[in-house]
Amino acid sequence: MDGLSGHIIRRLLFLPLTLLIVSFAMFYITRWGPGDPISIYSGQYRDEEAFDRVREQYGLDLPIYQQYRIWLSDIVLHGDFGPSFQYRDRDIPDIIFPKMWVSFRIALFAFILTFFIGIPLGIYAAVKRGSWIDPALIGTFLFFRSIPVLVLVPILVLFLSDRWGLVPPGGFDGMFTASMVIPTIALTVPGIAGVARLARTSTLLAMDDDFVRTARAKGLSEYVVITRHVVRVSVLPIMTTAIGLDLVSLIEGALFIEILLGIPGIGRFVFESVGAQDYNVILAIVMIGTAAFVIANLAVDLMLIVIDPRIRAGQRGLN
Amino acid sequence: MNNRLQLGLIGAAAALILVIAGVLLFSVGGGGDKDDSASGDETPSASETESADIESGGEGELVIRGEDPLFLDPAVVQDSGSASYLVEIFSGLVRLDKDLAIQPDLAESYEVSADGTVFTFKLRRNATFHDGRPVLPEDVKYSIERALAPETASVVAENFLGDIVGAKDMARGRADSVSGVKIVDDSTIEITIDAPKPYFLYKMTYPTAYVVDQRQIEGNPRRWTQQPNGTGPYKLAEWRLGEQIILEAYENFYLGPPTLKTVRFELSGGSGLVAYEDGDIDITGVGLDDLERIQDPADVLNPEYSQVTRQSLDYIGFNTNVPPFDDPLVRQAFALSVDRAKIAEVILKDAIPVANGILMPGVPGYTEVQKTYPYDPEEAKRLLEQSKYADDMPEITLAESGAGGTVGPTTEAIVQYWSDNLGIDVKIQQAESGTFFSDIDQGRYQMFHLGWIMDYPDPEDILDILFHSTSRQNNTRYSNPEIDALLESARVNQDAEARLQTYQEVEDKLVKDAVWIPMFYDVAHVLVKPYVTNFELPAMIIERYREVEVDRP
Repeated sequence: MDGLSGHIIRRLLFLPLTLLIVSFAMFYITRWGPGDPISIYSGQYRDEEAFDRVREQYGLDLPIYQQYRIWLSDIVLHGDFGPSFQYRDRDIPDIIFPKMWVSFRIALFAFILTFFIGIPLGIYAAVKRGSWIDPALIGTFLFFRSIPVLVLVPILVLFLSDRWGLVPPGGFDGMFTASMVIPTIALTVPGIAGVARLARTSTLLAMDDDFVRTARAKGLSEYVVITRHVVRVSVLPIMTTAIGLDLVSLIEGALFIEILLGIPGIGRFVFESVGAQDYNVILAIVMIGTAAFVIANLAVDLMLIVIDPRIRAGQRGLN
Repeated sequence: MNNRLQLGLIGAAAALILVIAGVLLFSVGGGGDKDDSASGDETPSASETESADIESGGEGELVIRGEDPLFLDPAVVQDSGSASYLVEIFSGLVRLDKDLAIQPDLAESYEVSADGTVFTFKLRRNATFHDGRPVLPEDVKYSIERALAPETASVVAENFLGDIVGAKDMARGRADSVSGVKIVDDSTIEITIDAPKPYFLYKMTYPTAYVVDQRQIEGNPRRWTQQPNGTGPYKLAEWRLGEQIILEAYENFYLGPPTLKTVRFELSGGSGLVAYEDGDIDITGVGLDDLERIQDPADVLNPEYSQVTRQSLDYIGFNTNVPPFDDPLVRQAFALSVDRAKIAEVILKDAIPVANGILMPGVPGYTEVQKTYPYDPEEAKRLLEQSKYADDMPEITLAESGAGGTVGPTTEAIVQYWSDNLGIDVKIQQAESGTFFSDIDQGRYQMFHLGWIMDYPDPEDILDILFHSTSRQNNTRYSNPEIDALLESARVNQDAEARLQTYQEVEDKLVKDAVWIPMFYDVAHVLVKPYVTNFELPAMIIERYREVEVDRP
């Protein structure tokens, strides 16, 4: 117990340090490059004198380390992420949370679907080891796993929308609408392949275990052996190892999917904000993303710890 | 037993961390005092039921697709997306009508002094802010001075208000008020400008000059634009980022209440045409891909289709300071060797017209006469041989704005023509828009592909601003004393007819000198449901919903 809670506390203590390093690096990188948000927003109105006056208003004329100090103290003391240079009258969280919420729901739905489809498929392939079904399934998974999102999305749009007119080619009309069909397919298909392959491997491993042989020897039907004994052991490790991996690919995938399909999520917004050099918005998204990532990883690690003893206990019972 | 206890504790710890993470995710920076208008945890069903209520309750609702404005401060905004909301919510002393003529707006009438420098505006007695407070001369004065004040951080204020005496001093922090704006009595305001410029009133129709509410701004300096107290025909009733904006009729609007009760903008994106065909929205733009189908008279949507030429132009600009384009012969050769009509036909599917000059249709002074160079590759080659770079052509790069990736087919075709007809291989360089504009500004490109959108319908807004040698926006670095003299005389010419003739002369000379290759005008293609009447897509961004009627079947 002591070891575990100490571990959690240590990990949580590292979070502020991580955030500090990430924010400092991001702050320098974004402000160092050429151009600035005032110049970009002004488009063809070129009036350097006026630009300088506006920069002064926003403190953009100060040396970067001073800007960083102000930014950091605002955030620590007032929870203020600073002004957005595009959406000047909004608090940054008010701008980005609705967009994160859109992305989050899409990702969560895709995530759940991935596991509900991927795991049974993988187990099925493992059970059919030796027949043509196993290599056929695995081949298909590998095929889909290998298609980059950038290619998959245009193909889906071409057929589902352009050719057959089944769903709109883009946009976001809310969850569980026709507009979600293409993004959901594009986000789940590669993930399913990954999860199914993992499920197949760990099921195969479990099937050779002693306790499975014992179960078979007791005369249990193959169906019962698989669902009661094999799956219990094989599924949980998949959940934990794949969750971490899948989270990353979901975030990556969401970026391209949102840009390609015009979904008003955080991925597309990051892209737009980088284009507008909206420093503080980019920074806020990276900070929140980093914090969420660290915490999610911690949660996954804890789940592993939680799950591990249960499996051991289960094995002991069987033996 | 021990095992189960441990398990439970660990589980509780894990759950706690998840909860903390969740709370953190949704409350960072909440700061305690924000209202719930834009928080992220609203369910989609809430917005659906709410909009359904409005639909059933309101007679006369117009539903269209829109985009989130950046923010609604008329003094600062210069992007057309935000401006299209501003013109409905706010208003100024004067406005443009559907024919783009100047009409008194918050002012009931105005007089111009004999020397053309003093404008006296008489305010309407019934002009009020949305909260019912009457609009007074003090409000006008405050609004102009606030727009110019350095704290307002507007990059465009000086551009549009800089002609007012004392405005530049205010903008540069040298004065606390604008001496050229005087309150005469409780309904009269007098504005003095630095020279008799007939286009000054046009500049006053731009949002920078709109009237804002001092009390509201000073009471809530950072967020007043989320619920602005304007003077226009519509109030901002609701704005949920990424979801919808609802404009609601202001019943006491001084020109009479708008016929429509509400205008609802759906901000969530998606295909406008699909939503239009499904009957979800009442007006939509048509993209190039669907245009051919819609323009076919046999198509069911064809009767609902219309188009309007916007005051906007696409062009190739030459940096007249650097080789080889400091030689007019090279510029002319480049202009002569591009078949713009063919590009319009093949690539743009005749959706937009070829420019016949610099001024666009609808701008005073526009003529239908062909001023631009015809397509004549032979003549182009002849001119190129006479040029001083005939035997020593430097490398040439064409710059355009773009985030990398593929070059547009139009640019590719243009470059191909130069290669085929002149034997010059022009490279294309794409730059992200911020770098692009600042590099043009600093004269770093030899030539560039760009567009210009008119802010007000006067030739000064393109010819003087872009071609006078001392103008900040002179991106071609063109310097011609003869042109400068003509432009300066036109600025203050009180004879409207003669003034336009001067601009026509300038336009003609610029085109012949090939400072630009004017490429295409811009046309907006739009579908409007038959039950929507009195809607006309204007050529510029002006108030457009006040008289629209919707009689949904």
